[in-house]
Amino acid sequence: MSGVRLGGVGVITGWGEGIAALPADAAIAAGARMVVPAPTPALTGERFRRATRECLLGVKAVALLLDDAGLTREQIAGTETAVLYVTAAGYGASNHAFIVAAESGGAGPLHFPYTAPSAVPAEVTIEYGLRGPYVTLIGGAATTIEALAWAGRLIADGACTRALVLAVETFTECASLFARDRRLLGRPLTEAAACALLVAGEPPLAVQTVDETSTRAADVRRRAGQTLACAPLLALALARAVGEDPWSVTGRWRGRTLALRED
Amino acid sequence: MCPLRCEPTAILAAGVVTPIGGDLDGFWSGLLTGADGISSIERFPVGDLKVSRGGEIKKLSSRDDGVRCRASRLLFAAADDVRARAALSADSARIGVVVGTALGGVEELERAIGGAPRLSTAAAGLYDAPGHALARRLGARGPVITVSTACASGSTALGLAADLLRADRADLVVAGGYDVLCRFVMRGFDALRSLTRERVRPFDRRRSGLLLGEAAALVLLARDGDTRHRLGRLLGHASTSDAAHIAAPDPEGRGLEQSIRLALRSAGVDARAVDFVSAHGTGTPLNDRIETAVLKRALGPRAREIPVNAIKGGLGHTMGAAATLEAIMCLLAGRHGVIPHTLGLEEPDPDCDLDYVPHAPRAASPRIMLSTSLGFGGCNAALVLEGGPA
Repeated sequence: MSGVRLGGVGVITGWGEGIAALPADAAIAAGARMVVPAPTPALTGERFRRATRECLLGVKAVALLLDDAGLTREQIAGTETAVLYVTAAGYGASNHAFIVAAESGGAGPLHFPYTAPSAVPAEVTIEYGLRGPYVTLIGGAATTIEALAWAGRLIADGACTRALVLAVETFTECASLFARDRRLLGRPLTEAAACALLVAGEPPLAVQTVDETSTRAADVRRRAGQTLACAPLLALALARAVGEDPWSVTGRWRGRTLALRED
Repeated sequence: MCPLRCEPTAILAAGVVTPIGGDLDGFWSGLLTGADGISSIERFPVGDLKVSRGGEIKKLSSRDDGVRCRASRLLFAAADDVRARAALSADSARIGVVVGTALGGVEELERAIGGAPRLSTAAAGLYDAPGHALARRLGARGPVITVSTACASGSTALGLAADLLRADRADLVVAGGYDVLCRFVMRGFDALRSLTRERVRPFDRRRSGLLLGEAAALVLLARDGDTRHRLGRLLGHASTSDAAHIAAPDPEGRGLEQSIRLALRSAGVDARAVDFVSAHGTGTPLNDRIETAVLKRALGPRAREIPVNAIKGGLGHTMGAAATLEAIMCLLAGRHGVIPHTLGLEEPDPDCDLDYVPHAPRAASPRIMLSTSLGFGGCNAALVLEGGPA
């Protein structure tokens, strides 16, 4: 086999856990709210006490994925699981927190490392013991399409046997900043953490530039709101929920629309 | 990222802007003469910080005076240097851009969060803004990707660029890394207490920490069949995770070792073929000791015979740019038949007992070269490069 199969998904949004929590129309459900915040997952342990909210969302999304895939954490631990993390804006909150803390002289030694976008996949890899191929990409939905295709190539190449594609987006802490850019970010801004596990199967995936967003991408946008890098993963979850071909998904970011296609 | 078997990729040209030289020629001569790019930081206030020195670039081309984002300006300067050496002769839709960064345009984000009135959009504050600005500057309409694997970003970016070519997503890719020295990152490392008040001394017994620097470094990549004049080849690459700690490397260096082994495997190169290693070599007590142990394990009994250098002594740690600068240094070493020395190394550490090329550049003809990188969050990366005489 030189392609991939969708092995599981995990979804948390400001609307709740799973795809079933999405409203029919996010704009109507959000009302006057510009941001639909995702509650901070309640995870116990010293490491999680100091970790950022976006880290906790990432860790929790992967836990939901394991439930969906019927896998234990021991089954995905080790060097055979790749992690590809994507975010467009998910580091804004930690950057903001560090700037505020530093201004008041209250930045501790571990404050700064959590400002890196790669802090989220770091906590995920530590929590689940994932030591395979590893990358963090910065960008929105089109970048997630790139990540999904890369995940497929890694599996096809034999560099890993499974790949976790994860995205986390938070907006609350920088709401006033994001409010200035309606063209790029849209409304409502819905916080989300979403992930998909790709395993060996069919078909091989590739990326192509397209002019139009797919029906499913539009459906995700309508039901979830603006979730940036999470959107294609929500689309996979929607498809999985109704038993449709998951790979007819598009993502748009900074004027480019990319689609997955069977290679 | 680490394909099981990588197709070699041609590196046609390189361009840089660094604290020791404003272009590729200045960078190379600075390495060979032991130029010290560390100075008092002048561009932003540092009076409240414990350490106020770094590898600050004092002068940038006036051509881009109107560009406010310093990260973009650094990238533009490096790109101009590349274009002075090789033409981007491909359909613009088939030219890609892959840049690695630890901090993106964080200075813009800091301004934006602070509510600076001139910034009207959030887009300019996002970490991928400089990469897209570079693509616009180059007229590149192919894939535009920003990688952020902390201080390994410049290595991962080259690997992903090679993958883009292999996947036939582009015919040319401008790839590399950048980061700026700004108050945000200086305060961060200040809080971490990892900056030294002394000079940076990679692998030296007295090493006491790192200093930061800023730079941009880019290479022009094409498929190996491209018949144009080339600087060298990228044979293999890998990026892996430690899964150990948010800010410290795995004490055993298992992730780095795995990166090296996977990169060699993807290159189809045996460890015994490695002629030269460019180490991450930050000058922190922990990094240099771990890296030494990893190189011994990964390269086997020959490890002590292989020259290993670290160039952060004169540049500072340029974060997202570091790994690309080090890859370029490897290729120049192969081309010119000389390995730059490890500036700052004077008293060897018994725990760091490899051949770290102290005191002066060394005549050598490395062909197969390994470059290693580590970053926050357990990011590790390795590149296998092939160089040779012009």
